Amino acid sequence: MRKQLLLLIATSMIMPVVSEAQTAKKAPAKRTAQPAARRAVAPPNAKQQLAKALQMAQNGQYAAAANNLFTLARKPELAAERPQIKYILGTMLMQLKLYQTAAFQFVDVIRSGNPRYSKPAIEKLSIVADGLGDDTILNYAISRVDLNSIPASQKDMVYYRLGEIQRRNGQFAKAIDMFGRVGANSSYYFQALYNRGLSELEANEVPAAITVFQNMIEARGAAPVTDTNKVQAQLALARAFYQKKDWDQAIEAYSQVPRDTLAWHDAVFEQSWAMLRAARFRSAMSNFQTLHSAYYEDFYMPESLLLRSIVYLYICKYDEMEKVLNLFETTYGPIRAKIGNFIKSTNDNTYYYQELEKAKIIKTTDKSANLHLPYIVLRNIMDQGDVKRAMNYLARLNQEKARVEGSPTFRASALGQYSLKIIANRMKNTKLAVGDMMKAHLLNMRAELHDLYEQAGFIRYEMINGRKESVKKKIAGKDLGEQIDDNVNRKFYIENGFQYYPFQGEFWLDEIGNYHYLGKQSCE
Amino acid sequence: MLKNGLKALIIIGAALLLHKTAFAAELVELPVEELAKESVLPIFDKSVSVKNRRVVTAGRVDANLFYGMALTEPIYDVSKFGASAYYNWNEDNAIGLLFAKNSSGLSTYSNQLHKEYGLDYNRAPKPEMTIMADYNVKVFYGKMSLTKSMVINTMLFGSGALGMVKFENKSYAALALGIGQKFYFSPQWALRFDLRLYMNQAPIPFKKNSMNDGSTGNTSNPIPAKDSFEERLTYTTNLDVGLSYLF
Repeated sequence: MRKQLLLLIATSMIMPVVSEAQTAKKAPAKRTAQPAARRAVAPPNAKQQLAKALQMAQNGQYAAAANNLFTLARKPELAAERPQIKYILGTMLMQLKLYQTAAFQFVDVIRSGNPRYSKPAIEKLSIVADGLGDDTILNYAISRVDLNSIPASQKDMVYYRLGEIQRRNGQFAKAIDMFGRVGANSSYYFQALYNRGLSELEANEVPAAITVFQNMIEARGAAPVTDTNKVQAQLALARAFYQKKDWDQAIEAYSQVPRDTLAWHDAVFEQSWAMLRAARFRSAMSNFQTLHSAYYEDFYMPESLLLRSIVYLYICKYDEMEKVLNLFETTYGPIRAKIGNFIKSTNDNTYYYQELEKAKIIKTTDKSANLHLPYIVLRNIMDQGDVKRAMNYLARLNQEKARVEGSPTFRASALGQYSLKIIANRMKNTKLAVGDMMKAHLLNMRAELHDLYEQAGFIRYEMINGRKESVKKKIAGKDLGEQIDDNVNRKFYIENGFQYYPFQGEFWLDEIGNYHYLGKQSCE
Repeated sequence: MLKNGLKALIIIGAALLLHKTAFAAELVELPVEELAKESVLPIFDKSVSVKNRRVVTAGRVDANLFYGMALTEPIYDVSKFGASAYYNWNEDNAIGLLFAKNSSGLSTYSNQLHKEYGLDYNRAPKPEMTIMADYNVKVFYGKMSLTKSMVINTMLFGSGALGMVKFENKSYAALALGIGQKFYFSPQWALRFDLRLYMNQAPIPFKKNSMNDGSTGNTSNPIPAKDSFEERLTYTTNLDVGLSYLF
């Protein structure tokens, strides 16, 4: 990078002369038509200043060079050199790790349409935006990329990002192609492989997706058990088997997701669905004991309660079923109302963001905050991919702001002030965008809860019907034989929402995931 | 010999009884694929080892009545009885006061010495009571199951106490360091065991030409003044066993 920078500056020092020569050559033709162009020719003083700034850059005085270049870029007499100056300024800012400010310089260069600097500016912008995680700028850069002219070192990143854009737009075949082009030695390789598998699943190419995920797990065989790529591939493999309706394979794949990873909770919940589909009710019930333990009291998972009640329906445990349905209604009824009221109360994205920020404080510290929405809702939103990404971007902007503010001299300079202004503006817009994302998620949650409430109604109907049938059988003398829990007074456990767990709801971390349902079905 | 044999019989009997109780329930065989496959723990934002604790001590007071036994006491009666009360300001720390009244007699060994050699250790100043401020740090909360239907929560703690030991003639500053264990057989009631090492100045009861009362035919020594005994730093190991109630 330093070598490239020196080469760039060295060539740039010659550039003003070349640029002047070109202007001088063209001048006679434009003399009558464009007198202003003549005024744009840099006077010797400006050229000297530019040469001095470049000299500083060459000597590694990036902050001073960037400041001078920033001033020079505004001079009308250096208008012809502006793309070049801005490009070098952007490169200096990259050296100073002021990526957001650098990105703006590269965007300006791209907009200028200068044939010499636009392409490298796109390349640099892609790198900067990739590092920042700024979707807007990344899309802007990637959409302008000419694949043939990208240097080999950046090709994998561009293929990967292009694949992402295409996948988001539902162009799965193109996305698969792009992800497939990412080289095996690239740092994007495993992400690309994972996304390729997802694209194949979305394109309903399940066997191909399974192969991709299996290859990925194999390739990461030597990695630690909690390796993110390996774990995500394992979860994706389980989902692929589920999509294939291969319940047993799916259950097995889910059980391979290690417990000390964030994916484990999702794996247990999804595995319960697979178990229900495979008619392994006892296994599914065992999972619910974990899912509905106090460790997950902050997790938003209305569906798991309904799923539990469905399993109870299958094994004819109507008392437990009613308990769970009531629990669903008492827990998610107020949540549904609060979401509705919140959405109605405001349309201000900033207000939405502030609510999320308060929840973030609760999540990361033990401090309490006055929330208008239930914490489990906000926690769920914070865990959504788009919100997470935007929050990460905000964190990077904060780091950049701290870098500017860390140097009082730089902060006081024109470039420092300009950087702070850009960062503040980007932060404001990102917060608004997060607010918008949150609103969208809240609307989805409200719609989902509405749907789940309807389903709860149907399940309740089935429960009443089941009870009726059971009573009928009793009256007809077709009752079941002795059950394992016949001698146990289940009332206590049902009332407290527990299942043969005599420790009054005391849950231990080392027990989570090891609970086993010992009841039998009460059906004929 | 007979005593040891009886002990062994009781232990074997109890083991057989518990064994029978433990396997009284139906044996449930779980499919292998349902069993946990690794030994790692789930990840949580703020991981705590136990949720919905059965025994919550934070912000509560526990009161104790106990019987204490001085394990290394050669002269005085090894028994004492006491009471203590602790305020638990969180789940990890508690501070309290403990008071113990010593039994006024002598140890079996002292009585033997009296019988055989006429040495009367009643002449030496005896410890009367102990009062201490005690700090407990609760280091480990656990649980154990003796049978499939009974669970006992356990709490291991360290203790550091500072106070006074009062002898008949004088009071001495004392420091006690120890380790303790509570067994909660209900969310309120617990059996409490405290093993403490006491360090304090104390009179040396072995005063030359002062202890013989002449009961075995020897010359009777004049009764010494209680304050005439020399003092030295004394270490006593003490085991307290008591009942604790959490208010």
